[in-house]
Amino acid sequence: MDDVRAASAGDRQAFQRLYRAHVDRVYGAVYRLAGYDHARAEDLTQEAFVRAWQKLSGFRGDSAFGTWLYRLAVNVALMDIRSRGADPVTMMDEDDIPDHGDTPFCAAEREELERAIGNLPPRARAVLVLHDVEGWRHEEIGAELGMAVGSSKAQLHRARGLLRKVLGERS
Amino acid sequence: MNEFEWLRQTRALREPVTPRRDLWSGIDAALDAAHAEAEKPAPQRNHRRVQNWLIAASFVGLSLFAGSLAVHLRDRTLANATAAATLDAGRWRPNDPRLAGAAVELDAASMELRQAMEQAPRSPALQRLLYRTQKQQSQLRQMEHQAG
Repeated sequence: MDDVRAASAGDRQAFQRLYRAHVDRVYGAVYRLAGYDHARAEDLTQEAFVRAWQKLSGFRGDSAFGTWLYRLAVNVALMDIRSRGADPVTMMDEDDIPDHGDTPFCAAEREELERAIGNLPPRARAVLVLHDVEGWRHEEIGAELGMAVGSSKAQLHRARGLLRKVLGERS
Repeated sequence: MNEFEWLRQTRALREPVTPRRDLWSGIDAALDAAHAEAEKPAPQRNHRRVQNWLIAASFVGLSLFAGSLAVHLRDRTLANATAAATLDAGRWRPNDPRLAGAAVELDAASMELRQAMEQAPRSPALQRLLYRTQKQQSQLRQMEHQAG
């Protein structure tokens, strides 16, 4: 907390210590939302820390600094997704996605699962990562992505269907 | 795979990831750049203030110009109306309808020449034309007098 206070007073070294302490968690979330793309995740993480420095004076300590920073970074990643426009997955008909039953995820290796998530359309990926990986509720996702709770649920359902299709074809 | 099993697998992906390279140097440079940018606004603000003043001054200038133009036009219209009224009051109207038509034409020509001479009072051509018009008007008066 001392580093937070010092950094908000303009101490760059204190902010660097905060960066060292939190970068892996921040980078992890941004990396997943960016579709496991290192180059984009690096840019977005840098942007998140720059914004954190600029907004640090507004941090009141209502939550832990790490949580505040994590939410800010996720928001930066989601803004990047939003700026990329409409998501083709919303146009897909659910009936077109073949159902491979209950087996595919059992056979999926972790890397394969990550690759499959990375290949999802950005908005569907964002919903799936936030809900299934990061543990967010649909209400929170809807608020962050500017969509109704029902749309968030539909996106998740479709994203899971797409994953099942991709993993099923490989297995 | 049921929901619980699926979530168990996906939640396992939620792990911290170390970036491939140290991002601090880039962040530090971006903060320096932002700091340098924040230093700039003072002259920019002054520049903007000067621009605002110039815009305001040009607005005032335009308003004054438009106002004086409106006053000038109003005065001129009034003067023209007064002159026309005076001319109309003193206008000679012959009883003979043939002469009356010529008198109206000569009156109109005379008035137009006077207006033109306001723009170019020393124009010899206009002076000559006005003199000739006035001469024709006096001839017309003589004709009416002889006829009457």
